[in-house]
Amino acid sequence: MGLTGLEIYKHLPKTNCKECGSPTCLAFAMALAAGKASLDACPYVSDEAKEALDSASAPPIKLVKVGTGDHVVDLGEETEIFRHDKRFFHPTGLAVLISDTEDVAAKVEKFEDLKFHRVGLDYVTDMVAVKCDSGDAAKFKEAVETVAGKTEKAMVLLTEDPAVMEAALDVVADRKPLLWAATADNYEKMTELAKGKECPLVLKGKDLHETAELVEKVVALGYKELVLDSGARETSKALADLTQFRRLAVRKKFRPFGYPVFAITSKDDPREEVIQAGVYLSKYADVVVMKACEKQQLLPLLSWRQNIYTDPQKPVAVEAKLNAVGDADENSPVYITTNFSLTYFLVEGEIEATRIPSWILSVDTAGTSVLTAYADNKFSAEIIAEALKKSGAEENVKRHTLILPGYVAVLKGSLEEESGGWEVMVGPREASGINKFAKEKFA
Amino acid sequence: MIIIGERINGMYNDIGKAIKGKDPKPIQEWARRQEEGGADYLDLNVGPASPNKIEAMKWLIEVTQEASDLPLCLDSTNYDAIEEGLKLCKKPAMINSVPAEMPKMERVFPMAVQYGAEVVALAMNEEGIPKDADSRIALAAELVATADSLGFSPEMLYIDPLTLPCNVAQDHGPEVMRTLREIKLISDPSPKTVIGLSNISQGTQNRDLINRTFAVMAMANGLDAGIVDANDNELMSAIATARILLNKDIYCDSFVNVFINRNR
Amino acid sequence: MAVEILKEKYRSKVGEVVLGATKEEGGTRSHTITVGGETSLPYLHFEGETPNRPVMALEVWDTAPTEWPPFFEKFYGDVWNDPGEWAKKCVNEFGADLIQLRLAGADPDINDASPEDCTVAVKKVLEAVGVPLIVIGCGKPEKDNLIYAPVAEAAAGENLLLGVAELENYKAVNSACMANKHNIIASSPIDINICKQLNILIIEMSTAMANRIIIDPTVAALGYGAEYSFSIMERARNGALQGDKMLGMPMIGNIGSEVWRTKEAITPTEDEPGWGEQEERGILWEATTAMAYLQSGIDMLVMRHPEALKIIEKQIDDLMQDNSY
Repeated sequence: MGLTGLEIYKHLPKTNCKECGSPTCLAFAMALAAGKASLDACPYVSDEAKEALDSASAPPIKLVKVGTGDHVVDLGEETEIFRHDKRFFHPTGLAVLISDTEDVAAKVEKFEDLKFHRVGLDYVTDMVAVKCDSGDAAKFKEAVETVAGKTEKAMVLLTEDPAVMEAALDVVADRKPLLWAATADNYEKMTELAKGKECPLVLKGKDLHETAELVEKVVALGYKELVLDSGARETSKALADLTQFRRLAVRKKFRPFGYPVFAITSKDDPREEVIQAGVYLSKYADVVVMKACEKQQLLPLLSWRQNIYTDPQKPVAVEAKLNAVGDADENSPVYITTNFSLTYFLVEGEIEATRIPSWILSVDTAGTSVLTAYADNKFSAEIIAEALKKSGAEENVKRHTLILPGYVAVLKGSLEEESGGWEVMVGPREASGINKFAKEKFA
Repeated sequence: MIIIGERINGMYNDIGKAIKGKDPKPIQEWARRQEEGGADYLDLNVGPASPNKIEAMKWLIEVTQEASDLPLCLDSTNYDAIEEGLKLCKKPAMINSVPAEMPKMERVFPMAVQYGAEVVALAMNEEGIPKDADSRIALAAELVATADSLGFSPEMLYIDPLTLPCNVAQDHGPEVMRTLREIKLISDPSPKTVIGLSNISQGTQNRDLINRTFAVMAMANGLDAGIVDANDNELMSAIATARILLNKDIYCDSFVNVFINRNR
Repeated sequence: MAVEILKEKYRSKVGEVVLGATKEEGGTRSHTITVGGETSLPYLHFEGETPNRPVMALEVWDTAPTEWPPFFEKFYGDVWNDPGEWAKKCVNEFGADLIQLRLAGADPDINDASPEDCTVAVKKVLEAVGVPLIVIGCGKPEKDNLIYAPVAEAAAGENLLLGVAELENYKAVNSACMANKHNIIASSPIDINICKQLNILIIEMSTAMANRIIIDPTVAALGYGAEYSFSIMERARNGALQGDKMLGMPMIGNIGSEVWRTKEAITPTEDEPGWGEQEERGILWEATTAMAYLQSGIDMLVMRHPEALKIIEKQIDDLMQDNSY
């Protein structure tokens, strides 16, 4: 979205001199808004007008990078309020908080162990935050050094004291950590530090208004690698502020808010903290800092992050292969479904619930559901038989029983032929019918 | 698309007679019928024959509001009649219309601000209706700039790019379409657009077909509102369908009925 | 620098539905519960109202469940052979706002309980607790269609929420609701078009049902398509606020039953040590799923683990705090 005619018009000299070739300044502004003229045609345009037009072509939210090498975390560059309108692009950086007053080495080791494998995907907690609670520059520096020595993940450094920050930067500036925070009181020194070391900087206001003011001041000092924190810490207030940041940046192109945003949990109870972080993750935070560090606490958050940052326009596919459910062995039946993840996981969940060890053959249908794939000729007897051969089922499963989704019962005969002697059973149409079906046939 | 029902207009014989004879029945009958047909607003026009436009407008508003709760669109070039009318309207109304002419804009926009009314504005001035899109857009921009300077929000402005019958001015068609698109570039929030639909088919054969085809094309180019025959079922069905295809309404199998009955 | 706060203006709002009926209203509930009525997206109090806080039900079955993870026994083991006692514990001890009675025992593959048995279970719960009641069938349409009418009749006047109606099978349950003035759960399979169409069909049978519908858009568990449900609910709620009355109903989700069949919730710690401790993992899986749907506008959550309910209760308190500017 560019500038509107009226906005451009406000920057023009309003002399109607006609030298640009348009009859009036207003007409020229409309030609600019429609992309049919260039500002250069106006001999009298001011520098401010040029700058306003330039900034209008920038993305609504800037991309800011934290960290180095393989562990860079991209923040921002979002363009939507709702993921269904297009998609969310850069997953929220989840940062585990370590205080310089706790056993730093132990916690960072625990943090490093926060990686998960589920539904064929690897999830990692991608950021670690170190906070100065001691007030002691030397102690903070030591903590930061310990963390940096034990993880290569992107770092966030939390202190509002520029001297303390400077001490820590002595040892980790080359890791490009995110610095929290510049405030109304310290922004000049913090900006100087961040600018000197080329590290991204969080600006923390007391509210949205003060945050916007800070942005203008820091931008005036020539620094734009910024992340914003409105200072809100209660769930409801933070939700409102995060919503305003995103709306004003995307819908109004309000430049002071055109940066990624930062949230930090305030709950002490780990359970409450996890779902407070979940709210921020759901609604627009680009970085969330939280204390929780247990596997069972991070797995749900990382899963939710994976979910909402998928592309809603793209069907999500799982790997097409033979999958074991329970202790499937050579005597277990083989269910057939597509590799559309929603279908696959529904089927898998239902088969699991039967507690009868089974195989699932997910056929590559380019991530489409059973009926869509069938209609599109991506789920024919030939294709299923081919997938069956490639999967190694022939050799690994002695019991040659296939269960066909009820919706494509019509394939039964041809699949029996194509598969070369497998018994083909017609299963239920919906996954919800699997339990009953399996108990009748295989229990 | 916002549907402004066109039928209560003194140019129609039954309405003209009713206004003259102070017979509320035909007016109330059409108010109800248009509401059932799916109108969002009711256009009220006393017609050319009324000797006292102010009194006629006041009476028309009163009897219409007895039959329908829909907001009204006061259609007159007599701004005193409109102002007296606005005082009687139970819901914020629409003023129809003002051209891009300074004294008229200075009369209408402050009045609209005072009564919280929306305004239909015409992309024309003393020199008449422009031929090409650029001139229409320039007039539209002038309307928005003037409204803005008089404290009237562009969001409440409905700009009519003005159509001419397609049998006499075929070349205006594409110009109107481009005007509809580019009006959205004037300001943010942008002004809305409106078209008096039946103009396009004056004096032609197949009027209904032309009307609804044009409506759908205009919607695809961003049209927000139409002054239309809300009881033309084929037209309303086409509008409902266009809304689905433009992703304005969420599809369901009964989408036509849902659109027409949306205000019940 | 003054920031101009962006407040959306919506044309319409979510309808309100009242559940339960007190003695004066012809029922026996100690109070009623109103859901819906929002005039903004979830918890954006700065631009609209959330007049009724979301409510949570706990599940009660008419037969002891056999496939819930073993740790549920410590909460429900002493009561799950008696739906009345079970409901009482859910309300008095665990703080459920209302009860969802699932007539699971009617399933021909479980107890094949008769419609009469079902009405007995419903009455037991109604006698045991004063909160409004949700009643759903066993999930097998052919059997459920035999249950709806007798249950609706036995609970006439109680203003139940009865379900579920589906596109292929809505007439029996809708007739039962119409005849006895109950509310209905309109369930669609993560499909907004069917969701809207089903509401229309229900209202076509009787316009009196228009403010008696609760939408069940089908809530997938976290990690199993939750983002699809989330986006469908966001679209439905946006549609409702922009004036689409056929989507303007409050929404319900069966969080507990979806979550507690996922691998993440049912896999014991020793089988997946990399996933952390099982019960806590399951609780957080349920709470995180509920959190996500609160953010997409859900009005009623049916939970299973009392601890998950407790976490969400607190979060609802937090979300209901005013955030106007």
